[in-house]
Amino acid sequence: MNRIFMLFMSINLFVSSLYAQDISSLSGRVIDKQNKPLIGACLLLTPSDKGAITDADGRFNITNIKKGKYALEVSFVGYEQQTKQIYIDKKISLEVQMKQQILCLHEVVVTYEHSKKREREESLNIEIINKDFLKQNIGGSLMKSIERLPGISTIDVGSGQSKPMIRGMSFNRVVVLENGVKHEGQQWGADHGLEIDQFAVNCLEVIKGPASLRYGSDAVGGVVNIENYKYCADNTFGGEVNLTTKTNNALYGGSLSLYGRKKWFYFDARMTWLDYGDYCVPTDSVSVYSFKIPLHKRRLRNTAGNEKDFRVTLGYIGDKFTDKFFVSSINSEAGFFANAHGIEPVNVDDDVYDASRRDILEPKQKVNHLKILNHAKWEIDNLSLVSDLGFQRNLRQEHSPYVSHGYMPPLFPENLGYEENLERLFDKYVSSANFYADLKCGEKLFLSSGVNFEYQKNNIDGRDFMIPSFWQVTLGVYFIGRYVLDEHNSFQAGLRYDYGKIHTDDYYDWFPSIDETTNTEVYLQRSEELNREFSNLSWSLGYNYFVDKLSLKANLGKSFRMPIAKELSANGINYHHFSYEVGDKNLSPEVSYQLDLGIDFLTEKFGVGISPFINYFTNYIYLNPTSEHDSQYGNGNQIFEYKESEVLRYGGEFYAKYMVLPTLECGVVGEFVYSEQMTGDKKGFSLPFSPPASLLFNAKYKRHLCSLIRNFYVQVDYRLTASQKNIVPPEEITDGYQTFNIGLGCDFEFNKQTINLSMMLQNVLDTKYFNHTSFYRLINVPEAGRNFVVNLLIPFKIKK
Amino acid sequence: MKKTIFLSLIIVLSFVACNEKNDVDTQKPQIDMTIDGASPLNCQTIYYGEPFKFKALFKDNDALGSYSIGLHNNFDNHSHTTEINECAHDAIKDAVNPFIFSKEYMIDKDKKESLVEFEMCFDKGNDKGNFDDGDYHFFISLTDKNGWSQKKGLSIKLLHR
Repeated sequence: MNRIFMLFMSINLFVSSLYAQDISSLSGRVIDKQNKPLIGACLLLTPSDKGAITDADGRFNITNIKKGKYALEVSFVGYEQQTKQIYIDKKISLEVQMKQQILCLHEVVVTYEHSKKREREESLNIEIINKDFLKQNIGGSLMKSIERLPGISTIDVGSGQSKPMIRGMSFNRVVVLENGVKHEGQQWGADHGLEIDQFAVNCLEVIKGPASLRYGSDAVGGVVNIENYKYCADNTFGGEVNLTTKTNNALYGGSLSLYGRKKWFYFDARMTWLDYGDYCVPTDSVSVYSFKIPLHKRRLRNTAGNEKDFRVTLGYIGDKFTDKFFVSSINSEAGFFANAHGIEPVNVDDDVYDASRRDILEPKQKVNHLKILNHAKWEIDNLSLVSDLGFQRNLRQEHSPYVSHGYMPPLFPENLGYEENLERLFDKYVSSANFYADLKCGEKLFLSSGVNFEYQKNNIDGRDFMIPSFWQVTLGVYFIGRYVLDEHNSFQAGLRYDYGKIHTDDYYDWFPSIDETTNTEVYLQRSEELNREFSNLSWSLGYNYFVDKLSLKANLGKSFRMPIAKELSANGINYHHFSYEVGDKNLSPEVSYQLDLGIDFLTEKFGVGISPFINYFTNYIYLNPTSEHDSQYGNGNQIFEYKESEVLRYGGEFYAKYMVLPTLECGVVGEFVYSEQMTGDKKGFSLPFSPPASLLFNAKYKRHLCSLIRNFYVQVDYRLTASQKNIVPPEEITDGYQTFNIGLGCDFEFNKQTINLSMMLQNVLDTKYFNHTSFYRLINVPEAGRNFVVNLLIPFKIKK
Repeated sequence: MKKTIFLSLIIVLSFVACNEKNDVDTQKPQIDMTIDGASPLNCQTIYYGEPFKFKALFKDNDALGSYSIGLHNNFDNHSHTTEINECAHDAIKDAVNPFIFSKEYMIDKDKKESLVEFEMCFDKGNDKGNFDDGDYHFFISLTDKNGWSQKKGLSIKLLHR
């Protein structure tokens, strides 16, 4: 498109120069806010049909213009279009300074320029995706949709719950930021998903590697940074309707958004509703720890669910001050696979459970996440100040029928203050405040500094105990400096100090147990009151080199992570894999050192890159299966204890892509992680949930078919995953597998209305395979079978 | 050019795929109930107050850890067994004073094989009266030194005589 435009413009210029008679001319430069030239900016002079495109120095020259009054339109992708009224006589010289556009992402996707710039400034490896990517790769949850990115996998339970995993790191080792504030749910639980509406995501960035420096202690494995703010041109009111369906779990859903802007004020609101049934697996029965469980119509019993989300953003855009106020409420309910919940695999009444595919029976989880955020930004000359304030409440309830085990009474007593079927409840309140200051000192030095504060309070309820109530405070201060040596070389260095305090409450059983030595009834203590304080100094050094088509990155850093309440004080049965988990109150904070490299070579047609890393943990905290059994609470479940050991990990990703034709791009992406415990009980073993090596081959054909069907694409993904033989108890070796996905989509015109259609056929061959990082892998449940996804997006304008 | 890339990818992948460790234990222990005189067996009836034999053979490639025996009622038929033959269950009923048993037993260090044989006897009742008759689930869990585990679930009936 751009090239055609350029060609058109140059022909125009050429033609007009032949016939022009007057001698006036207009020349000048187009620059950005930092006075850097903008190459390839378009200039259009109306009412003449003259125009120009800026050269490598950002210069332009339009000659042979008739005297008179003109409007000069200057545009550049990613920047706000400018119109200047000028009177031209003789030779006029002029400098146009462009303002970076605040992206209106539903229309203009994150531009190449923006992500390119971001990649150049960050010495860690990052992946940036936009809404189009999400539409074309839509999965059961947001994290499932981005699994296609190199180095990213997910930890899943069922079809709607997944957590991000970056190079084998997950749970509390990956920070998810939504609009600048750390998302706080119950990340520690493998069965707990991420409470984020995937339709509301405009831009998503994944930082692979320890980003603790800027994002705090938990970012030891990486960061998923989600932005869903949307800005629009003045006096615009519009919206979009999203309709989606999936065959595998009979999902129906939709999302409606409305947005508008009047001068400095804008709003953006969204409602999402999803409802899905039990999902299908390509097998007639599963074998959970040797217990054979037949499946009705190949459906995983009781994995249906629903989601209802609301969000509103109110914003103000001023010259120097912008503010966004954001409220969201995510509400979901989903069943757990009914046969695999409790102290052992169980029989359920199949007639009841298989009567309907869409009902959600117990065991089930219900999650409500409320979020209120305010983002304010001041820009004063070379200084920009940001404040992010947030409040979150995460209410998580797990329900299951009461089954007495251990010394629990056979009948559930009344007046315990909660209903009999409430297995566990976690009610978390989080307040956070982040302040950042970015200062530009001349052309070469960029300084940024910030303070992060967070207070969490987590209350528990229900009949079963896993972690105690706790509160924790964390405070971090950082300084980062970036020095641009010349146009090729830049350096980064940063320092961060963290302080954290955690307090856990004591907890006693609500039922008496029999003390074998004295043969008396005692109310056993499950956790004791605990106060721990942590502090740490982390640092990082980075280097970026750019020349033409080649870019090199290197980053070395130390990061740390505070142990969480579960690691310190867990003491209960994990009802999903029939184990008994015990914390260790003496754990020290994890310390990790990591070296990251990144090499990219990109031309217009060809690109290749590799991003290796090596990582060393002085003490990695993990759940170690012991040879012991609990004889107090279940029927003798194996005990798993939180332990720490030295861990060495290395691996990386690579990609290669080639434009075979202007309409056809082929590529391959590979990822690989190796981990080994160097000390401790499991010396020589890997880490739990280690993602296997995989290759993803992709071919994408795209073109404009006609004026009615635009942006047509067909893509084929072929994933080749190696077996995972590096396992640690209780895992099993997972065989390698191959899967095919086919995607197809376009924008088409219907009744003068543009409609965007994306379709995807996942697991085309209905292959039965196991995903080593799925939580259900532990109980031998294969991945979902063939799935056909259709997504329709209908944008509309009420007023322009 | 493309061929070279493709070839090197295959090499990388095969290297990766073959990069497995051989020196760590990846085998689960085994519970062998097919030995002569193994007890209890699926669908067996055990009587309160009367001794019965527990006999099983435990095996591991490296070293055994411990085992546990757990008994809990199956009056609502929620449990099923790891055995192929299912047993006839009594009608579903509510528990009044169900029998509960859960105990861990250690195995001598560094043993690869252990034939366990001892007598068990369950009390007829407690201070609340007689334990409930009916379907129970007899659950054996075995671990090895490295934390691998094996489970066996048997359906039995516990009755008074």
